[in-house]
Amino acid sequence: MSQAFRAKFTRSGWRGLVLPGLLLLLWQWASHQGDVAAYIFVPLPKIGSDIVHLTATGELWVNLKVSLLRTCEGLAIGVTLGILTGALMALSRLADRLIGPLYHALRQVPLLGLVPLLALWFGGDETSKLLVVSLAAFYPTVLSAYEGIRQADRRYLEVGHLLRLGPADVFAQVLLPSAVPSIFTGIAQALAFSWLASMGAELLFTLGPGIGAMLLNAETAGSMETVIICVMTIALIGYAMNAAFRALGRFLMPWAAAS
Amino acid sequence: MTVATRIEGSVVRTARPAPPKSARPFHASLLDAPWIGLISPLLLLFAWWWVTKAGLFSPQLLVSPGQVLDTAIDLAQGGELADHVGVSLVRLFTGFAAGAVLGIAFGALIALSNTAERYTAPLFQVLRQLPTVALIPMFILIFGVGETFKVFIVMKATFFVVALATYDGIRNIPKGYFDVGRLYQLPVGLRFSAILFPATVPALLTGIRIGLSRSWLVLVGAELLAAESGIGQMMEMSRQIFRMDVVMVGVILTGLIGFLLDRSLRLLEWWLMRWRRA
Repeated sequence: MSQAFRAKFTRSGWRGLVLPGLLLLLWQWASHQGDVAAYIFVPLPKIGSDIVHLTATGELWVNLKVSLLRTCEGLAIGVTLGILTGALMALSRLADRLIGPLYHALRQVPLLGLVPLLALWFGGDETSKLLVVSLAAFYPTVLSAYEGIRQADRRYLEVGHLLRLGPADVFAQVLLPSAVPSIFTGIAQALAFSWLASMGAELLFTLGPGIGAMLLNAETAGSMETVIICVMTIALIGYAMNAAFRALGRFLMPWAAAS
Repeated sequence: MTVATRIEGSVVRTARPAPPKSARPFHASLLDAPWIGLISPLLLLFAWWWVTKAGLFSPQLLVSPGQVLDTAIDLAQGGELADHVGVSLVRLFTGFAAGAVLGIAFGALIALSNTAERYTAPLFQVLRQLPTVALIPMFILIFGVGETFKVFIVMKATFFVVALATYDGIRNIPKGYFDVGRLYQLPVGLRFSAILFPATVPALLTGIRIGLSRSWLVLVGAELLAAESGIGQMMEMSRQIFRMDVVMVGVILTGLIGFLLDRSLRLLEWWLMRWRRA
């Protein structure tokens, strides 16, 4: 995204730590201003001891594992179906004209808006959550596969033609490789979306384990320290997955240095 | 020979506006017809109608398209629908306007001042990573389940996207533009209105459009989780009493509203950018 901004981020040096430091001090100060304030501004040591407690009992890890597994599963389903659908639409004009309008119409419904419907159809357990996550991964992948294949350089196709490649070979050796960078970008988006969708689904379906469910339970129980830890964990995992995937992209496709 | 074919081609084109048959087979031009795009939605509608007609699913699971339409008309005439949609839209626009204004101001500040950027960028980057959806429970704890938390969650969803778009928009303005401004010794006000603002608008609008659609998603989620009114609450309430028809009205309506919001901003983008096409 903003390369310049990221570069500046590291150049901030000590100045960048001033504001966060002040906020932490303010937070710690606020936590000593009576019980009501301490309810929201939990004392920092209390957050620390809760981190230790949640990791020692394994509660954090057990919930995190469920969420991560579901996200990976949904990602695998959504991305596979997405690439297939996108490729089909890009290769066949008929498929494009038939599937396209339906795809664009259904995509308009905000994913979380589907939750009440899915809850009635499939209940509030893992099936529904997996469906939401798969859909979240499916939408961006279709678009990126479609565009990647459509934007394949005509010259490559002509070379394929000259070499008298059959349609299957043209697809496997010309179209698909040239679409890989675009598909990769789509999967990166799908990854971010499916992690968020997984969290949203856990908050709204409220059945079963998961880090989102743990977050909601902590909210109901009014324990701010656990809420903060869950939010930070969710953000950290999201960030780490994104960074790891981008690193993988740079490793696999050193020629496509974009984004 | 090339000249001959080119002339021949142009003659053919003037004689018949439609592309020559040899180049475009009949079925390809048929596929371009606008009504082709309606086939699959109509098929889905028909399948939906047929399945309910045949009674394959209990009415608690699937109601007919006609009944959904009837329910929508009932709800609309009772004023219920307008109330829910109105409440949701007020929340959306309040939070969105606040988030967008703050986002533009902050984005412009860190783009124009290196000092401000050095001090705030790391904090901004860290806070930006916090997913809005996951913040819903935290905001409920802090602000309660009333209106405040919904407006704030929409604000959060808007602020970071818009701030980043503004920053990128300003930072990507070619240095030459400012040099021209300096060369002509334009007053500071004019440099803003004639150079900075028009050059930032494209990126800003894209950011605003993304921010608005994310805000809508997050607001529907927040209303599903905790609300006394609004379109999300309407769906959640109907789900609990197994009113499938109302749930489906809600799903279609949230999709429609999201689509209209996005489309109207695209229109605005197209209209504001008309100078580029000229």
